[in-house]
Amino acid sequence: MSEHADNVALAPAAKPEEINASCRLPVLFLFFSAAVWAVQATGVGLLASLKMHVPGFLADCPFLTFGRLQANAWVAFLYGFAGNAGLGLTLWMLSRLRGMPLARPGFVIAGAVLWNTGVTAAMVGITMGDQPGVAGYELPAYASRVLLIGHAFIAFSAIITYFSRRHQQLYPSSWFLIASLVVFPWIVGTAHWLLVETPVRGAAQIPVAHWTVTSLQQIWLGTIGLAAIMYFIPKITGRALYSRQWAAFGFWMVLLLGGWVNLNSGSPLPVWSIKLSQYASALFIFALIAVGWNLRQTAKGVPLLGSDDLTLKCMGFALGAWLIAGLFTFGNACPDWNGLLQFTYASTAIRHFFAWGFFAMAMFGAVYYVAPRLFEGEVDWACSGTYKYIYWLTAGGAVVMLLAGVGMAYGHGHALQGGVDPFSVDMMKKALLPMRAAFLAELAFLGASLIFLGSMACLLFRNCCGDCSPMALIRKCRAAKAEGGVE
Amino acid sequence: MNKSPWIFLGVLFALSLSWWGMVFGPAAQVNAAKSDLGDGTALHPRSGLAQQGEQIYRANGCYYCHTRTATGGTFGYELQLTQLGEDQDLTAEIIGEEMFTVGNNIFNRAYEYKALAKALDALKAEEEKENGNVAKATEQKNKAITLAKGGNLEENLVALGVSGVSFDTNVVKALELPLEMTEVQQAKVANAVLPVTHGTESWDEIEDKVRGLKDRAGAQFKLLPKPKEWPDVENGTASRQSVSRDYLFDTHAMPGVMRMGPDLSNVGARRVSANELYAKIYNAQAGGVSSHMPPFKYLFNVRPLKDGEALPNGAVTLADGASVEENHVVTPNSKARALVAYLQSLRNDRSLPEAPLPGSIQSSKATE
Repeated sequence: MSEHADNVALAPAAKPEEINASCRLPVLFLFFSAAVWAVQATGVGLLASLKMHVPGFLADCPFLTFGRLQANAWVAFLYGFAGNAGLGLTLWMLSRLRGMPLARPGFVIAGAVLWNTGVTAAMVGITMGDQPGVAGYELPAYASRVLLIGHAFIAFSAIITYFSRRHQQLYPSSWFLIASLVVFPWIVGTAHWLLVETPVRGAAQIPVAHWTVTSLQQIWLGTIGLAAIMYFIPKITGRALYSRQWAAFGFWMVLLLGGWVNLNSGSPLPVWSIKLSQYASALFIFALIAVGWNLRQTAKGVPLLGSDDLTLKCMGFALGAWLIAGLFTFGNACPDWNGLLQFTYASTAIRHFFAWGFFAMAMFGAVYYVAPRLFEGEVDWACSGTYKYIYWLTAGGAVVMLLAGVGMAYGHGHALQGGVDPFSVDMMKKALLPMRAAFLAELAFLGASLIFLGSMACLLFRNCCGDCSPMALIRKCRAAKAEGGVE
Repeated sequence: MNKSPWIFLGVLFALSLSWWGMVFGPAAQVNAAKSDLGDGTALHPRSGLAQQGEQIYRANGCYYCHTRTATGGTFGYELQLTQLGEDQDLTAEIIGEEMFTVGNNIFNRAYEYKALAKALDALKAEEEKENGNVAKATEQKNKAITLAKGGNLEENLVALGVSGVSFDTNVVKALELPLEMTEVQQAKVANAVLPVTHGTESWDEIEDKVRGLKDRAGAQFKLLPKPKEWPDVENGTASRQSVSRDYLFDTHAMPGVMRMGPDLSNVGARRVSANELYAKIYNAQAGGVSSHMPPFKYLFNVRPLKDGEALPNGAVTLADGASVEENHVVTPNSKARALVAYLQSLRNDRSLPEAPLPGSIQSSKATE
């Protein structure tokens, strides 16, 4: 045993090329799947949004109600895009941080296939009306089972990779990645067991649902996104992370508080749990300070958003979005503020802002950095220039979503608080206004997703399989044709 | 932070805290809630049809646009004097002249009764003395009676109650109060209160007044919390705020996300007929009504109306009796019937100990 431990400790770090080669197939598969699901999520989301503006649109089809489309859009984003991209990045970063090739890539492929099967099953189930009735956690029982098994396969590979070599010091991103791998099965397992498999009493489902939804967002997505930001900003700026202590403080704050925050002040729950949630939301400011200050000091003097490096730009925007979304979480500590916005479009808008402005932006930036490095030799990525449009469309969409969703929701909130007749035209207009403006944001997200998919397809088309890539074959044919050898 | 097992355990511990606080704790508490109204009246689960309707509501994702969560609001305090202090000027100073919500009459009359009681005690004391000045005391008593008699009977009964004094038959007669009170009049005296705030003040606004009455004036009082600014109640959407007990029998609790449409927590008590709900679900815009609710026509059977055929019973109609779809007969299918049964089962018009009906707020739409 000790001999094995010594061997592990003494194992030399693998070369980056070796690590990239080991990650190539599984990580590219996950990234490409993420791109497909991103288009699916935004397309379905846009369709749902369209139905809100044109109520009669596709109204005769029971499979395309607004509620089903909304659920499908979120499932496609959360598990389809975020799950695939997040897991792919987790595997690559863990391998690089441990300095060892990805272990058991076959398990990752199997896990990724299962994972995508689970997401597909969820989409089909929701379309057939099989959603569990929890906004933010729409997985039918069979889908969550498959997802959990798929996750276990992928996590197995990550764990083996992680323990294949010892380091004197763990880089902070490793903490966040370990946390993301641990919390997902717990959160989804809890929701699966208490909301779907053997549902608890109706009244008890409300706190379970809230914890699930907020933990998936704040902890699962939060840890993966922050891991990427903490990895890439120091790496690209060529600086060391300013403080491990600040990073550790931010890490524990996110983990400790992430599951408590954002409970609406009007929730039909015991008052003590609402008050606790408000205190946790107030304390969340410390997580923002710890992470924000640490990265600000790390990149001091470097204009992240004005950088020429696209990955750095993405990470800068993602960090800003996480901080702004966190400020809204902090704002929920105030019952009056929360009471005003709780039933408006604002909470949905903030969720979209967090999902796209923070998480998706971090993933887009990371994929831009990682994906070309997974190939051997010189990479032919002719359409990499279009990648900057992903950044601009996502950033623009996120800003519109924030301003429209939250700013315009004020009018709706005041109408709800002011006792305006809920059946009146005035109330209807106020409710719709933020959604109408947010439609533009969803359009931008769809554009970004399409370019992302096209960009990934372009990369694979030109570089996969070495000399046997479709583009290489086309070139050979063209060359041969030019020489008059082949028709 | 370099030992991964410790990080692993730390992550588990950190997540278990929020799991305990936000899952186990509240779930255990609301799970233990009794399925009654707090007075032993049992709450009943939904009927079979309404339970099926809950599945239709869930499957179609209706909870994305409608909440089932009526919110409460803030409370003000009505400060009610049940017995006045001895010093009229001090009590008036503490209360503040402008704060009487019922009026000064009761307050002044109560102190007149108090003065009369003192005069009667003084007369009795003089009579018991060997050389007591009975004539002067009698004069004082008569003067007090003259001051205290007359006025509005209703107010006098309340004033008598809050003054904390009682008189013998002769004095009662002289004061023109009823010699033998009815049960209602007795109750009015026994339960007499004099509100001295509007009921909208916060605790901070009345704290000095409460302490003054208690510590300086020696008055007795009670504080009645009164709901204020409860928009869902004021606009007729709900009868009270929603609480955990409202979801006890839900297979899937669907409190909702946002209010693209109105809150449905009390739709069953709004006296909306099944036909109105069917018409709304079939096509909310029928009859020229402005609405952005999508039509759910696939929940209905539709056939053309034959020449000269009258609309059959059970056909979905608008308020004017015309078919919801011109020249067609529209009847709900089993899913629509179940959905409407579910909607009609949603009501929060019964008081619960943790969510009493705020009866003092008059709903402008209570009868709609």
